[in-house]
Amino acid sequence: MSRQLIFILIALSVAIPLVIKLGLPNEVTSEVMAVYEEIDQLDSGSVVLVSFDHEASSLPEIKPMAQAVLRHCFNRKLKVVGLALLAEGTAIGEQILRQTADEYGVDYGEDYVFLGFRPQYQAAILGMGEDIKRVFPEDYKNIPLTQIPIMRKIRNYENISLVISVADGDMPVWWVDYAVSRYHMKLAVATTAVMATSFYPFLSAGQMKGLLGGLKGAAEYEMLIKKPGMGQRGMDAQSVCHLMIILLVIAGNVGYYLKK
Amino acid sequence: MHTGTLIAAFLTLCIFSFLYKDNPFYKFAEHLLVGVSVGYVLVIALNTTLMPKLLNPVFKEGRFDYIIPGILGLFMLLRFFPKYAWLSRISIALIIGAGAGVAIPATLQAKIFAQMQATMINFASVDGIIVFAGIATTLAYFFFSKEHKGWFGTSARVGTWFLMIFFGATFGYTVMSRISLLIGRMQFLLGDFLHVIK
Amino acid sequence: MPQETNMQRTIPIIVCFIFGLFMLVQFFVPHHASISAYQTVLDWMQIIFVFTLLVGVISYAKLNAKKITRTQTGWGYNLIGLIGLAVMIILGLSMGTGEKTPFLWMFNNVQAPMQSTMFSLLAFFVASAAYRGFRARSWEAGLLLAVAIVVMLGRVPLGNFISHWIPDAANWILRTPSMAAKRGIYIGIGLGTISTSLRIILGIERTYLGRK
Repeated sequence: MSRQLIFILIALSVAIPLVIKLGLPNEVTSEVMAVYEEIDQLDSGSVVLVSFDHEASSLPEIKPMAQAVLRHCFNRKLKVVGLALLAEGTAIGEQILRQTADEYGVDYGEDYVFLGFRPQYQAAILGMGEDIKRVFPEDYKNIPLTQIPIMRKIRNYENISLVISVADGDMPVWWVDYAVSRYHMKLAVATTAVMATSFYPFLSAGQMKGLLGGLKGAAEYEMLIKKPGMGQRGMDAQSVCHLMIILLVIAGNVGYYLKK
Repeated sequence: MHTGTLIAAFLTLCIFSFLYKDNPFYKFAEHLLVGVSVGYVLVIALNTTLMPKLLNPVFKEGRFDYIIPGILGLFMLLRFFPKYAWLSRISIALIIGAGAGVAIPATLQAKIFAQMQATMINFASVDGIIVFAGIATTLAYFFFSKEHKGWFGTSARVGTWFLMIFFGATFGYTVMSRISLLIGRMQFLLGDFLHVIK
Repeated sequence: MPQETNMQRTIPIIVCFIFGLFMLVQFFVPHHASISAYQTVLDWMQIIFVFTLLVGVISYAKLNAKKITRTQTGWGYNLIGLIGLAVMIILGLSMGTGEKTPFLWMFNNVQAPMQSTMFSLLAFFVASAAYRGFRARSWEAGLLLAVAIVVMLGRVPLGNFISHWIPDAANWILRTPSMAAKRGIYIGIGLGTISTSLRIILGIERTYLGRK
């Protein structure tokens, strides 16, 4: 089979289910349920810190997850503090946070804030454990944090109920190393599928409270909050394309053994 | 249709054109992407970090103690001048040294004690024993100070089975991840650009 | 390259030792003076790190400028890269980076679509590689292949549609044997991190200083 034919098969196995809906039923895994429950049990007014630790390359996976989690946070009337530990997460994080906040009619400065980007994540994570205002003297709009109502009551991790790292790399491991171990923070993770298998030891040890893994994780979370979005819309295509790759693997092996 | 959508669609197709073969459209998009990405990082770093963390404290608040990290930062730029390039090592040494200092207790707590504790707490079950065996044999596989022979060699061999299971699961998830990205781009092309799907 | 003196290697090693030892000891000394000094060091790390990003940007610009001035093959593409860099810097520094700025427009319509498309190409290459190279040539390779198939099916709605055993098996694999292997890897990484960190602080590991 030529390379071009394989490419065409993959493109079709993604495109056709996007146009013609199959409606395959999805199920929620316990890892995703754990994130939902962790957020759901917080009292309204509790502060959640959402860190956009990703690049633009993973946007199609990151955006649905971040949107679903933020929708849940705003629906539960939680306060959200956003920031980015990778530069490209800044523009993406700020926009997702602003757009989702607009859906729920919540106010900047009162109900949510976006602090911007800090390099050297080791120092940034540790520094926030002592004093967030020292790490971020100003927010992304260059307003001093002392003038932002939501930040007046927040000094460090002691005033934050949950950290959510929306990541496409191993940044959640840094959060575990420095925020969970040293400051006993609760951490939930929304990560690209490619990284998900690496975080199970932390889940099992209770260092991560829950895990959303890629578009499938987003689809599960959308089911839980009953707000269908990009995650659920992509699940049929994901299923068909996985089946196509499995068939290609089987065909390759059958051909190999027949030749042998 | 918005100009932005048209441009994004054109650039998306330029990148996809690589699937046929390397071509000028792909090369154009590739170089543009690198340039724009580098520019983006620079602007974000200057606007959101250098200004509030260094320039404002020194010039607006008169915090002259911040001149020290400023000078250490400027040492980094001396890498471009061979005669003074060695000064950048002082700045690198500070970051590497301080990073190593905080890493020791954090790693001990997060990656050793907590992981061992979680293993032992769940030990009294079939899965717990499998996990224990998996960790012990995986560590045996990566232990190269003893020859992989006899009972130790068998342990290391079992370790490779556990590793293969991990790699298989990771491969499955990697496929899932890459397809999700493709779905995202297809949703853009078929939805925002061509309006074939809602 | 100018001749290197002993001092040029000794000073960084001393700086590394002092800051490394302080940050290590500080963990066990929660005195306010110690915390204040610790916060200062963390601030310094972030400020210095911004300059390391600048080094990357300058290197990129220098490399491209060199190729253009020498009119090397494909110099036109290097020019496009430099134009992209210049446009982002000019837009970002002159008009800001917030909502409805040209800088954000460039990010949303040029950078982000291209970057995610670039990574989505891998879906095609993964499929092609799976067809050509993913062979059950040995017991280990067969195990890897079988696990990959179970996880690929078990993690999408189709797996559950065929039988609930498939997602159950995928979940067990992820939570038990796969997790065990990764935990073993993490413990190994942890031990390696600690020993390397100690070697760095004590000045035994000096590769970060570059070659003599």
